[in-house]
Amino acid sequence: MVYYSLNGYNEDMFLVGILSWWYNEGWRQRYSLIISRLASVSDRFSIIILLSTLFAPYRQISAGGVKGAIGVQFRAFIDRLISRFVGLLVRLLMVIVGLIALIYQIIVGAIVLLFWPLIPIFPVVGLILFAIGWIPAWL
Amino acid sequence: MALTSFNYRSARAEKARISISIGKTSLKLLDIAAVLLLIAGVCFVIIGVTIGWVLIGFAVIPAMISEWKNGELTILKADTKNESIDGLLEADILGLLPPTPSPYDIATLLGQVYGGQFFAVRFGVGTGFLQEIASKDTNDIEALWQEAFAVRKQVGGGLITAGMLVVALIKTHANNAMLLAHLQLDIDDLLQGITWQQHINDLIALTKLPRRTGGIGRDWSFGWTPLLTRFGQNISDGVAGGSLLTVKLESHMEALEHLVTSLSAKGQGNVALIGPDGVGKTTIIYALAEKLIDPKSDVPADLQFRQIFMLDASSLISAAPGRGELENLVVRILGEAYSAKNIIICLDNAQLFFEEGIGSVDLSNVLLPIIENGRMRMIFAMDEGRYLQISQRNSKLANAFNRIAVSSPSRAEVIAVLQDQLINIEFRQNVTYMYQALGEAYRLSERYIYDLAMPGRAVKLLEAAAGYAEGGLVTARSVQQAIEKTQDIKIGIASGDDERDKLLNLESLIHERMINQTRAVSVVSDALRRARAGVRNQDRPIGTFLFLGPTGVGKTELAKALAEVYFGGETNIIRLDMNEYVSNDDVSRLIADGATDSMSLTAQAMKQPFSVILLDEIEKAHPNVLTTLLQMLDEGILRDVKNREVSFRDAIIIATSNAGAERIREHIERGLDIEKFEDQLVNELIEGGQFKPEFLNRFDEIVMFRPLKKDELLQVVDLMIKKVNETLALQKVSVSVSPEAKAYLVDQGYDPRLGARPMRRVVQKAVENTVAKKMLSGEVEPGGVVEITLEQVQTLITSKAQADDIVAQSQQIDKA
Repeated sequence: MVYYSLNGYNEDMFLVGILSWWYNEGWRQRYSLIISRLASVSDRFSIIILLSTLFAPYRQISAGGVKGAIGVQFRAFIDRLISRFVGLLVRLLMVIVGLIALIYQIIVGAIVLLFWPLIPIFPVVGLILFAIGWIPAWL
Repeated sequence: MALTSFNYRSARAEKARISISIGKTSLKLLDIAAVLLLIAGVCFVIIGVTIGWVLIGFAVIPAMISEWKNGELTILKADTKNESIDGLLEADILGLLPPTPSPYDIATLLGQVYGGQFFAVRFGVGTGFLQEIASKDTNDIEALWQEAFAVRKQVGGGLITAGMLVVALIKTHANNAMLLAHLQLDIDDLLQGITWQQHINDLIALTKLPRRTGGIGRDWSFGWTPLLTRFGQNISDGVAGGSLLTVKLESHMEALEHLVTSLSAKGQGNVALIGPDGVGKTTIIYALAEKLIDPKSDVPADLQFRQIFMLDASSLISAAPGRGELENLVVRILGEAYSAKNIIICLDNAQLFFEEGIGSVDLSNVLLPIIENGRMRMIFAMDEGRYLQISQRNSKLANAFNRIAVSSPSRAEVIAVLQDQLINIEFRQNVTYMYQALGEAYRLSERYIYDLAMPGRAVKLLEAAAGYAEGGLVTARSVQQAIEKTQDIKIGIASGDDERDKLLNLESLIHERMINQTRAVSVVSDALRRARAGVRNQDRPIGTFLFLGPTGVGKTELAKALAEVYFGGETNIIRLDMNEYVSNDDVSRLIADGATDSMSLTAQAMKQPFSVILLDEIEKAHPNVLTTLLQMLDEGILRDVKNREVSFRDAIIIATSNAGAERIREHIERGLDIEKFEDQLVNELIEGGQFKPEFLNRFDEIVMFRPLKKDELLQVVDLMIKKVNETLALQKVSVSVSPEAKAYLVDQGYDPRLGARPMRRVVQKAVENTVAKKMLSGEVEPGGVVEITLEQVQTLITSKAQADDIVAQSQQIDKA
C-alpha cells in the first residue's frame, strides 16, 4: 500500500529519501563543511603566512640596506634584531592561538562526523533510555 | 525511458514535491522545534524525569529534516543517470507539476516560481502572456520538453530552469518573432536573460562563501602606512570588504594579465593604463586588487597580498598648498609606501600630477626618477589625449611609462557590466530595470553621450533613467525620456495626439508661413513623418536635402518654418553660412571642440542633436569642407577634432544653393516644367564643376525652388502683415492694408534677382513706419485699426528708385 501526502508525494519516499541522503551525500557534505571551516580558521589566523615569516621584522619601518658609518649600521642591525624578536613573539602567540582554534575545530568536526551515522537512531535510543529509566549517576 | 517523457513518480519528482511542502516557515518551525525539544529534554533529564530522553531523541527528527532540506532538497542536483525531463527540471518547477501537465499548466506555474517572475519583471513576459500563447492540450507537452532540451543545450547545459521553459514556450509558438517584436525583444535576448539570471544566482552563491584574504597577520611583515592611510584610498580593503564591486570582463583580461606581469619582479614596476574616461580603467584596478588579495589566485609570490592605494591629487594639494610642501608630502608618502614593501600606488587621473593648473600640479621632477628607478610599484591611469600631451611635453616621462591600452568592451560585455552594476543601482535608487532598458541605454548612450566611453556612458544613462521609472520599473521608455530631457531630443515614436496631428498636417502648418514650393515642403514633411513613425534608416540623418533656386524664394524660410513648426522654435536651427568656410583651414573650424569654439557644427550638434541643420550657400564652401561633410550626409556622423563621433542622425540637413538659379529662371520664363528639368540641371552643375557627383549623390532629394509669381508675392505680403499684427498685438493695435497698397508694395518691392527678400524691407518701411507715426501722434488708440491706403504707401515710397534704394540697403544688411 502506497500512501500519499496532501502535497502528492509518496510518504515512503520521504523516509527512504532522507536516510539515503543522510548516509551518502549528507555525510560527504558535512565532511566538506568541516574541511572548509578548518581552512577558514587557518586563513583567519594567517597560520601559514606567520610560519613562513616567523623571523621577519615586525611592522618594519625601513627598507633595504642602511648606509653610513659602522655605528649607524650596527644600530640598524640591532633595531632589526629587536624587531625580529618582537615579531617572533607576536607571531608565535598568534600561531599558538590559531592552532588551538584549529585543534578545537578538528575535535568538534571529528565528533560530528563520528556521530553523524548514529543520529537517525537517536529516537530509538531515547525510547530505550526512557523505558529503562536510566539517569546518569552524577545527576 | 524517452528523453522527453515525464515520470511523475520518479524519486527526484517525489523529492521536489517534498521540498515544496517544506516552505520557509516550515523550515523555521522545524529549527525551533528541534531546539525546544533538545532544551526541554535536557532539563527533564537533569531533574530526573526520564521522558527527557524521548524529547532529546526526537529532537533530531526536525533537525534532520531541516538539514536535508538545506543540503539536498532546495537545489536538487540533476539526475545524471536518468537524463529525462524529471531528472533535469529545477526543483521548484518539478515539485509543482501535475501528473500530466499541458503547456498551459507550465505557463501558469511559471508565475509561482522565482525564475518565471524574473522573466515577467525583467522582460515583460508574464504569466498572462504565456497563458495566452500556451496550448491546453497535454499532447503538446512533448514538443515543449523537446524545445526545453534544445534551449538547455544552447545555453550550456545544467538544470532546465524556469527561464528555459519560458523561452521554450515562446519558441513553440508559430508567430514567436512577431510576439517578441511587440515587446522589442528577440529569442537571443531571452537566451541572454537565462544567462543573466544564472549569473545573479552565482553572485548570490559567491557572497555565501567565506572570503579568504590572508587573515589577521597578513601585513605584520610589512611597514606601517599612516600617511598613505590618511591621503589615499585603500582599494584592496574596499574590495575585500565588499564595498567596491569588481566586474570581470573578457576584454579586460589581457590588460589585467599584462598589468600583473609588468608589476611583478620581472616587469618594469610601473604601468600607465591608457584609455578614455568610462572605459573601465578603475574597474581593472579593482579587479587587480581582488586578484592580489586572493590566496588562491595565480599571481607571482612577490605580488601576493600587495595592497593598492589610490592617491587623490586634490586632497594632497589641499593638505600642502605650497609647492615645496607638496613635493615634500609626496616624497614622504612614496617613501612610506616603498618602506612598507606591500604597497602599489595608483594615481587615477594621473595627468593631474604632471601638469600645472587648478586642482593639478606638475610633479614630474619628483616622480620621474622614481618611475625610472622601477623599484616602486606604481599604476598611472589617464586618457589617451592627456598621455599624448604628456608625451609632447616630456618625452622622457612618457618613455618611462610601461603603456597598456584599455579598449572599449563589446556590446555583449557592456550589457553584462550593466547587469552587474544594476545590483548596486537598483538597491540605491529603489527601482527595477527591465532588460529592454539595458539595450536602449547602450544604443542611446552610444549615439548621444560624448564625454564618456562605453560602458561608463551606458551606466550614466541607466542611472539617470531611474528618475523616469513608472511604478518603480525602469523601461526602455524611461531611458528614452532620460535622454530626451537631458539632451533635448526626441527619441520615441510619435505617441501624443498633438504630435500625431502636427505630423499629419505638417504641410499646412508650414504653409501658414510659407507660400508655394509645395514639392519641397512635401519631401521634408515625408522625411519627418518616416522618422517619427520609426520606419526610417536609423544610421542616416532624418533627411538630407539640397534646395536649388534663386534668392528670396523661400529656401532658408522653409528650414526656419520647419524648425518652428516641429523642432520647437526657430532657435532649434543650426545655421552655417558656408561663405564663411571658403578656405581649407576652415575645415578645422567646422569640427572644432566645443570648449574652444561653441559655434562649430559639431559642438552645436552635440548640444542639440534633434534640429534642422541649414548649410546656406553651400556652393561657396571650399571643396575640402564639402568632402568633410560627406560622411555626415551619408552616415549621419562626423568626427570632431577630438576624434569623437558626433551624431547627426536626428537632424534634418538642408543645404541651399543659388547655383543654377539663372537656368531655373530661364526655364520658368519659357513656361517649362522645372521638375522635368531637374536631372539636366544636376548634370550641368556637375559638368560646370560647381559640385562633385559624389557630393550631390549624398542627398536624399535635390529640390528646385521656382521664383514666386506676382499673386504668390501678394500672399507673402499678407504673411508679412500678419507678422506685423502679431507684434502689434501687445499694443492692442492692428493694421489693415488695402489691396491696391499691397499690389503697389509687390510692384515696388519685388526684384527679379533677389526674389521676395527685399519686400520685407519695403513692407517694414511702408507699414511699420506709418503705424509708428500714428501711434506716437495719438491718431490710433488701443483697440484701434490702422488703415493703410495706396496713397499713404505712395507718399512713403514715391518712386521705384526709392524702392530700389531700400532693396539695395536690404542687400547690404543681409550681407552684413
